[in-house]
Parts: sequence; C-alpha cells; structure tokens
Amino acid sequence: MVRIGFLGVAHLHADAYVGNLRAAGAEVVGVHDRDPVRARSWGARFGVPVHEDVDSLLAASLDAVVVCSETAHHAALVERAAASGCAVLCEKPLGVGAADSARIVAACHRAGVPLMTAFPVRFSPAVRSLRALLDSGGLGALRAFSGTNQSVMPTRERAWFADPVLAGGGAMMDHIVHLADVFCWLLDAVPEQVYAVGNRIVHSDVVPVETSGLVLLDFPGGVFASIDCSWNRPLDYPTWGGIGLSAVGDGGTVEVDAMRQRLTRFGGGQSFGWTPWGVDINQLMIDEFLDAVREQREPAVTGRDGLVATTVALAALESVASGAPVPWPDV
Amino acid sequence: MTTDAGTRSRSARVGLVGTGFMGTVHAAAWRGIGVPVAAVLVQPGNEAAARATCPEAEVHSALQGFLDAVDVVDICTPSDTHVELALAAAKAGRPTLCEKPLTLEVASARDVVRAFAAAGVPLQVAHVVRFFPEYVAAREAVLRGEIGDPAVVRLARLSFAPDRGAESWFADERRSGGLFFDLMIHDLDYARWIAGEVTQVAARASGGPRSHGIAVLTHASGAISHIEASWAEPAPVFRTRMEIAGSRGIISCDSDETAPFIPRLHDSAAAADTALADVSLAANPFEAELRHFLDVVDGRREPVLTPADAVAAVQLAAAARRSAGEGSPVAIDLVGAEG
Repeated sequence: MVRIGFLGVAHLHADAYVGNLRAAGAEVVGVHDRDPVRARSWGARFGVPVHEDVDSLLAASLDAVVVCSETAHHAALVERAAASGCAVLCEKPLGVGAADSARIVAACHRAGVPLMTAFPVRFSPAVRSLRALLDSGGLGALRAFSGTNQSVMPTRERAWFADPVLAGGGAMMDHIVHLADVFCWLLDAVPEQVYAVGNRIVHSDVVPVETSGLVLLDFPGGVFASIDCSWNRPLDYPTWGGIGLSAVGDGGTVEVDAMRQRLTRFGGGQSFGWTPWGVDINQLMIDEFLDAVREQREPAVTGRDGLVATTVALAALESVASGAPVPWPDV
Repeated sequence: MTTDAGTRSRSARVGLVGTGFMGTVHAAAWRGIGVPVAAVLVQPGNEAAARATCPEAEVHSALQGFLDAVDVVDICTPSDTHVELALAAAKAGRPTLCEKPLTLEVASARDVVRAFAAAGVPLQVAHVVRFFPEYVAAREAVLRGEIGDPAVVRLARLSFAPDRGAESWFADERRSGGLFFDLMIHDLDYARWIAGEVTQVAARASGGPRSHGIAVLTHASGAISHIEASWAEPAPVFRTRMEIAGSRGIISCDSDETAPFIPRLHDSAAAADTALADVSLAANPFEAELRHFLDVVDGRREPVLTPADAVAAVQLAAAARRSAGEGSPVAIDLVGAEG
C-alpha cells in the first residue's frame, strides 16, 4: 500500500484528494501544516494523524507527499520531501515566482523522485476527446482556442488565495494555469508571447489582488488562445465555477465544457442548484499519480508542465503591470 | 413601443439603396411597421431584381432623381459604397439610416458625420444589436444596477462563413472590411455601450474566408471585454453569447439556450448564404430599429445610437484589425466626430 503524507492543507483541494487517495487504495499516513490549529481540525475531520513538524512526518516511511500548502511555501516543502526520497504531487500553481517554481522542479530532478503538478483537467474525458480529435486530424489545422475558468472568489473557502504574498496574486495566479496547461499540452508547444488585462472591480472592497483577467496567448504557427481567469461568479453561485474551452480548426469547431454533465435542481434548500454526475477527474489524476509512484516513473503531467503553466500566469501578471505583451521567457 | 410609426413619419417616403441581403431584410421590416419602401435605388441593370424584392416601390437607377423622390434614405449597399451615398444624402438634407459599418476608415467616418451635422439632419447607423430584445434587457439590468459595476463583458457571434461567391464584394476584404468590420463590429459597439469608452484593443484573427477572431478590450472604467467573432462554424450554425459580470452579479444569454423553437428536420430547406439571428419569435429588432429612426427623425426620441458612436465602432474595428495584423495592442485615441 502506497503511504502518503499531506504537507499543508491550506489548498481546499486537499479535502478532495484525501478521499481520492483512499479510494485508490493508498494509506494517508499523516498531515503536517504550519498552522497547527488547521492541521488539528483537518486531521480530525478526515481521520488523519497530525505531525507537529515536517521531519517527523517525512520519517514515517512515506512513498509520496501531497503538497497543498499556501503556494509560497510549496518550494521549501517540496525540497525537503524530495530530499527524503518522496514522490511529490504539488498543487498548482507551482510557486509564486519564477525562482521558487524552478526550485521545485530542480529539487525533484536532483533527487530522482517523480513530480506531478495537480492539473486534473488534463484527465477530463471531454478534454481527452479533443486531444484525440486533434491527433486524428479530424479538426484540421488548429487556429484558435478560447477558454474560460471563471469562479467564485475562493476566499469563500480559504482567505490566503487573495494574499499577494502567499498566493503570488489573485485570479490570475489561481485560474490561468489549468487552461494554459491544457493549451500547451494540446499544441505540444509553449506560447511565444503573453498579453493580459485585468482589474479588481469585483470584490474591490475586500481583497487587494486582481479579481478579473483576460489573457491572449500567441503560439507558434499563428495559433492564438485566450483565457478568462476571473473570480467573478457571485458568492451565492450554485457551484465553485467552471472550466471550458472552444477550439477552432479548418475542419470545424469544438466546444468542451467539463462541467456540463449535471442535473438541474430547484428547491431542496437552495432556489437553484446543480448536481454533477460526470466522472471525478481528481480521482483519475490521483490514480495516475499513484501508478507513477508505484512504477517510479514520470507522471503523465510533469513538474515541467507545471513550470510552463506557472510561467504563463507570471507573464500575464507582468503584462498587466506593463500594459504590453511579454515575450516568452526561457524556462 | 407601438406598431404605429407615428403621425408624421408614417407618411414618410422611404428610399432604400440596395436590395441585396440587408436591403431585403430592411424592406420587409419597413413593410412590417406599415411604412413600405417608396423608392429603391439600384445599379442600372438591376431594376428587375429590385422590383422582385420591393414590388411596392418605384425603382430608380439615378441618384439625384431617387433623392428627390424620398424623405428619408436607408443605405444597405456594400460597405465600401457607404461614404459616397451618405455624403450625397447629407447634401440633399435627407435623414439617413446607414447599414454598419458606417465606413471602412475612421477619417471618412468623421467626414460623413460632419456632413450630417452641417446639414442638420439625423444619421443613424444600423448597429442593430442595440435593438435586440435580449441585449436591450441586459443593458437595462446593468443600468438598474442589478449586477453592480461591469467588470468583464464577454460577447460572441459565431457563424458559418457567408457564401456569396468569390467575386462578390463581400469576399473582398477591401470592400467589406472583413471579420472585424462586418461581424465583430456589432459586439465592439455593444461592449462600449455597456462598459464605456475603450482605451486599448488587442486582437487576433486566423484570417481567410473562415476567419475566427478574438479581441480583448480595456475600457476607461477599468472594465475589460472579450469579444469573439467567427466565420469558422459549419453551416447553418449562427450563435450568439453574452455575459456581463459585475461587482454584484452576472447577466448572461446564449442563443442556443434561449431558442424557443428547435426544428430538427430530415429535409431541410437550402440554407441561406448569410447567417442572421432568428428574429421571428420575439420583438423584431429590425422593426424596432426603423421605428426608432423615424422617431428620431420626428424629434420624438433622443437617438439610442449617435453618429459619434458609429465613428467609435469604426475606430474599434480598425484598431482590432490593426492589432491582429501587427500583433501588438493598439491604444485608442479619444473617440468622436472631431479630431
């Protein structure tokens, strides 16, 4: 049985992953969080033993760690886990800047341990179908993508998402990376240039970070792509948000909405709501991570993939600040 | 709004220029509001086609005789001919409705607007989206403050490529202006109507007859807009989407999700060569547009769309096309007829 430790549970995805790991037959051995109160309440809620310090958890014969701390603490935790020989599943974005993001990839490479960036959207059957269609040539030459990853401001769940030091930014750091990764994966390329605009009109009274953003990416061969990363669903929106994209090729167009498989519900305590019935893409991602740990191989989504997507988000923030497109920095 | 066009303008002699795709749509709408077209101006040799489209109208092929025979002018000709016809109508003192885009360059748009200002007669450009009931309802909700301050406006107009033959004016980008001037201009205008003046435009387009384009606008208010226009869909797809996210909520509408009638037929009639929203199952926006024009002509309504708005739309389309061509964002100078 694969033995897993949680390093940080600040990111709300930890709440889902713990169930996914157990469903896949892994043992969740322990949790450490720099906030001892949070560690205790999370550990009690999910029945996971709490470790007061990182070393004591790493000493518990772990095969792998899941790093769900605040983004700013990812690098230090990954370095310690990798040095102790643990495989790493790191929440996105990898880091808050170029340097700490690169440190994460370098540490795992140096230690020879598998590193996976948590991009579950890659495992969406709808996204996979689009990849298959592109690979088969059925969409002809691809011309453009248009993507949306809009959501409720995640401070509804965790306040640090809007802390510029801990998160590196707001909506742009949170919600560019999934689609940036999908676009780069579908095209097998990195952008040549990143342009972005943003604002803080939604929730300007509560947070100091950008809450809306639009990104325009230029890929090789004239392919262009856009991302809407806004935290502009109202706080009483029936779900966290959504993710979707359209692809335009010479052979036609495709629309992908990973969230559309859901029931519509009226009444039942909320005037309106959705009940999803599609596959759990977090589970598919965790299954792949555990397979990679068992086989000691590179996961289907790599650390470098996370580095590329994080670089897109950082370049977008830079573009918003300067008002000009940012050429792709070599990573 | 009533179906009665009003006491004075009900008797207006409407002159329609051009009986192509939009001319035919407008002729039907004029009939629909009880003010059938009185005279049609066409190129010499096209008289028979004009009679078929507009049997109620007298047919002219000479500009001056046509202008003498009408009270108001409705220009539905290829986009590159608008300047000359509009200037002639202004010179003759005829209130004019002109199809969009007003012109294909900002300078000539300003010339036309100045000519109408000097003549002291109204000019309305047919940015008909401002009369579509769902777009009007969304704007009214925004003005009521239902969603707070607009933050992100997302507009999409996704269509199959018009197919009027390779030799048609429409296929010639120098005559039609291409995707940004012909299709995206609707939503460029609407975004500005919702979120105010635009300060920067960044755009991309795939080019060719099936071009797909995206423009990202920055508004002076701080709001940002994502505008998508496409001729890349297979026929008969024509789809519009709109979402306005504000500080307190979201308003959205998707034509796919709001169609009240969805036929799926084994034998479908030959598809039209150009897509047009189905306007048969709600308030007809073309009729609303014509009624509004007559109301403005009669001095009974302030214009929903000023000549300066039409210049701004041309300016945004030009900026988007330039940005797509050069690959860099384009800053927008102050809009308006002067300068």
